[in-house]
Amino acid sequence: MKRRDDEWVSLLIVIGATLLVAFGLIALVGSNLMVAVSSFLRGIFGSSYAMSEVLVRATPLMLAALGVSIGFKTGFTNLGAEGQLYMGAIAITATALVFPGLPPIVMIPLVILVGFAAGGAWALVPGFLKARFSISEVIMTIMLNYVAINLVGILVRTGLKDPAYPYPMSPILPESANFMQLLPPTRIHAGLVMALLMVIAVHLLVFRSRLGFEMRAVGLNGRACHCSGIQVNRATILSAIAGGGLAGLAGVSEIAGLHHRLIEGISPGFGYVAIIVALLGKNHPFGIVFASIGIAALQIGSMAMQRTAGVPTSIASIVMGALILFLVIRDSRQSIAILEGV
Amino acid sequence: MPVLEMKDICKSFFGTYANRDVCLEVREGEIHALLGENGAGKTTLMNILYGMYQKDAGSITIDGHEIVFKSPKDAIARQIGMVHQHFTLVPTLTVQQNITLGLRDSGYPFSRERARCEHIDRLSDSYGLKTHSRALVKNLSVGEMQRVEILKLLYRKAKILILDEPTAVLTPQESDHLFAMFKQLKAEGCSIIVITHHIQEVLDHCDRVTVLRDGCSISTVETKGIDAKQLSTMMIGRELVPVARERQNHHMDAPVLELVDFGFKRNGGKVGSVNLSLRQSEILGIAGVDGNGQKELLETLMGLRDHEKGKMVCCQQDISNASTAERRLVGIGYISDDRHRDSLVLDMGIAENLMLRPARSTAATQGHMVNKQCMLEQATRIVKEFSIKSHGLQEPMRFLSGGNQQKLVLAREFIGSPKIIIAFQPTRGLDIGATEFVHNQLLAMRSAGCATLLVSTNLEEILLLSDRIAVIHEGSIMDTIENKAVDITRIGLLMAGVRTEGAAR
Ligand SMILES: Nc1ncnc2c1ncn2[C@@H]1O[C@H](COP(=O)(O)OP(=O)(O)OP(=O)(O)O)[C@@H](O)[C@H]1O
Ligand SMILES: [Mg+2]
Repeated sequence: MKRRDDEWVSLLIVIGATLLVAFGLIALVGSNLMVAVSSFLRGIFGSSYAMSEVLVRATPLMLAALGVSIGFKTGFTNLGAEGQLYMGAIAITATALVFPGLPPIVMIPLVILVGFAAGGAWALVPGFLKARFSISEVIMTIMLNYVAINLVGILVRTGLKDPAYPYPMSPILPESANFMQLLPPTRIHAGLVMALLMVIAVHLLVFRSRLGFEMRAVGLNGRACHCSGIQVNRATILSAIAGGGLAGLAGVSEIAGLHHRLIEGISPGFGYVAIIVALLGKNHPFGIVFASIGIAALQIGSMAMQRTAGVPTSIASIVMGALILFLVIRDSRQSIAILEGV
Repeated sequence: MPVLEMKDICKSFFGTYANRDVCLEVREGEIHALLGENGAGKTTLMNILYGMYQKDAGSITIDGHEIVFKSPKDAIARQIGMVHQHFTLVPTLTVQQNITLGLRDSGYPFSRERARCEHIDRLSDSYGLKTHSRALVKNLSVGEMQRVEILKLLYRKAKILILDEPTAVLTPQESDHLFAMFKQLKAEGCSIIVITHHIQEVLDHCDRVTVLRDGCSISTVETKGIDAKQLSTMMIGRELVPVARERQNHHMDAPVLELVDFGFKRNGGKVGSVNLSLRQSEILGIAGVDGNGQKELLETLMGLRDHEKGKMVCCQQDISNASTAERRLVGIGYISDDRHRDSLVLDMGIAENLMLRPARSTAATQGHMVNKQCMLEQATRIVKEFSIKSHGLQEPMRFLSGGNQQKLVLAREFIGSPKIIIAFQPTRGLDIGATEFVHNQLLAMRSAGCATLLVSTNLEEILLLSDRIAVIHEGSIMDTIENKAVDITRIGLLMAGVRTEGAAR
């Protein structure tokens, strides 16, 4: 019981310290603290539309973070969610433009599948290299982000460019490839449902299935798994594909639910923020639901703060960084305590 | 006057006592043994002394001053050194770097590698430790690693040396060397605390012994005037009745495992080659001095290393090039000598570690899902059957005592009636009761038709259990003999690489 209490106390300390950093920064840029805080809160809770925007933003974060968390759970440090997301976005755009005549009942599952496959394939490259040649996946996944982002840049100027406009963007996708709007006039779309379904799927995969067990075990002690006759390479590759696929779905969801066309910069760093979300959610699918909504709220609120109080949104990034730092400190202290058995 | 006094030490983990009012008193210049069953709290007590754990209650006095250690750093400053049950060396660094890790000597931040190496070589020479300061630790045998760990203490000028089961990994000759070195240290005024499960070592080499049972210290006695029987009674609280072993010969069938000119790579670019056959219901012991290719041979048999040449035939199936998983599915169980590295996922629980086998051979898997209830039931049964001490099935393996971790590995390899068991030092770190238990299990498996390849550096164990004994030297089998009225000197000679002409059958 004592342990439980300590956990809450330390969490409160972390939150307090994070708020202190936030307030300090707001004061530093010379804004009025009260105005800033109230505009932040109004930006999140001020209207049902504001609240819906939080969920809209949480959707891609949730999907990408699920992907990242699978990797973290299984010893595959996937920092390439951003690139995998873009690959998913390219895949849906290309598919929908090549087969514009398909009815939604065929089109939607198809784009989801190819999006997953594209993201998965993008992660398969480092996954395979790690399994086969023990090449570090950390650098590979980061580098592939740049490749994917610039690939989008090339495609929206060449193959996928909309000939009717001079701007680098693809044509609008056929309507059959659009996700349903759930609560018009808000922008909440079926991608959120997909994300929540994936939360359950990931939970079943990682914590309930035999494969998930093997993937987790491989992440913790690959050598012992190998000696025990578990196929380590298979586990690594499958976890890479599943993780990349989920990040790819984030890209599908952004295009099908919001943008309906491929443009550069559809992701304001969702793939990177997803890493933070996964850490905050302790790499647990249910934790990620809350963490993604929390981080989305932080971002939405800080945008409102910029509009009304003139506080730059970059403060939100700093606050996120500080929060992670505090949490890591807390966790390391806790694991020391656990080792000592107190 | 005692140099060290630990009084009424208490320590509990998650509400259960690991140490309860334990007292320990060590005099200057003595070798003090710490004896107790698996999970009795020996390691915990030493970790408290070394500053790894904080005690809940009690006091520690050194040279008459009460002290509190916040971390091992404080203990080292007080000239206390510890060699852990599981080594704490960095494999990719050299011996010298491992020994001086974390130290600042004159000239910091520049390290004077040459001087350090010379110092270490001098130290190791003067205690007859035979280690080379520039060798990489990952190329060393366990015995050599042990010596590096001890050098680490000597280099730090420890006066009180704690060794947690140092002889568990050593051959009898190496153990004798170790104790000879302890005697030298003792003469220089050091005090040595040794944890061991070998009662004979306690009687032969130690001055006094403290016995722990279930976290309490039972008593401290002089080793003069006590015998093995009394000691083991103190340790387990009842008399140990040696179980009569049925030695009747089973009907021996065709070989289940055949190695034909089986070549394997050894460390340092050498190649070993063996011819062996293993029949059903047979225990084939492989005797040999540690580091003669045993580990490499077994790892090659398990498919963990590529084999060089020749054939490995298991039940008429050539599995020379099969993967580890395939070999497992054929029915080969493997007990490694390094449980932390090869056998366990320390951050997973008991139940999950029992599932660490190929999917098809796990009862708790249903289709693609894990049947949690089945998994827990199985774990409960095994914990009971093997009397594994723990705080519950989900408790991470990390928190189990060394011997209890070993029991779990054995249990896992025994389920699902394997055809062949490859056992490397299967009783490493087990107390006498548990060793008995494992020996009986191995014999029971033999009666059930399982063939066992038993590799141990403990000759007694091999003589006790084997039907036949093969002696390995420099990666090849010197000879294979029936275990009937064997001539120990002959085995000793074979282990040293000498084939006596007259003895050839
Ligand atoms: N860090 C820890 N957290 C929780 N429990 C622990 C921890 N360390 C030890 N224990 C428990 O304390 C008890 C005593 O363990 P300890 O390691 O001291 O035994 P031991 O006498 O060294 O046994 P062995 O001969 O098997 O090594 C065990 O039941 C073990 O599960
Ligand atoms: Mg121990």
